[in-house]
Amino acid sequence: MTTSQQKSISILNTCPPFGQSNAKDSLDVALIMGTYEQHTHLFFQGDGVWQLVSNQAPETIQVKDFLKTFAAFEFYDLENIYICKKSLQERNLPEIFHIENVQVLDINDFAKKLTESDIILRF
Amino acid sequence: MKKLAVIVTTPPSSHLTQTAFQLIHNTLSQNIELIGVFFYQSGVLNANQYLTIPNDEFPLQQKWQQLNKEHCIPFYLCSTAAEKHGLIKSDDPMSMDLILDEFIIAGLGELVELTLKADRVVQL
Repeated sequence: MTTSQQKSISILNTCPPFGQSNAKDSLDVALIMGTYEQHTHLFFQGDGVWQLVSNQAPETIQVKDFLKTFAAFEFYDLENIYICKKSLQERNLPEIFHIENVQVLDINDFAKKLTESDIILRF
Repeated sequence: MKKLAVIVTTPPSSHLTQTAFQLIHNTLSQNIELIGVFFYQSGVLNANQYLTIPNDEFPLQQKWQQLNKEHCIPFYLCSTAAEKHGLIKSDDPMSMDLILDEFIIAGLGELVELTLKADRVVQL
């Protein structure tokens, strides 16, 4: 699918992956934006950083592991992925993620990048 | 006139949805063109025609319907989210329809179209 226009869209993820459906709903929007060739940037902050943590076992709580789909971001041209360094530090999480090309930004750069887009959607 | 699109993600039981309605309602007198409202996540529940709101409470659903009719603002209902919330449009003419006529069933592609056309998008 192609559209003549393009906008830059930031999707800010602030929820952990498996408690509510926000993360999955956000993923659906990100993939469709990618399909329509919009400049889409993904941001992970607060408890949203848990979405990038490796080796999770959602099947133990009967939840489908939709995080596997993150590996397909490249095919959807979703190549700008940013995570908040402060949020990682607050949770004592290492800078190790289950997908590649995640950029760890300090809070000022994170905020600056986020506000560069035409539209911000938050989940 | 500036074009605005709104995304409603909260259910009718949440007071946040009243705020969303109020925001939309107030734009109408502000020389802003509202090009559409996209109902996503639990926001799809606003389309359930069997909602019953007590008489002494804010008649949210009636207000949504008025807004749609009087100002010709298209309401898009995310089909996947609607199905997840049990709101299905049946092909069987004998079965009850759960979704109000004012809502157009749409895919997430419609959300992309709205974001493209709008000067500003507000998600509530």
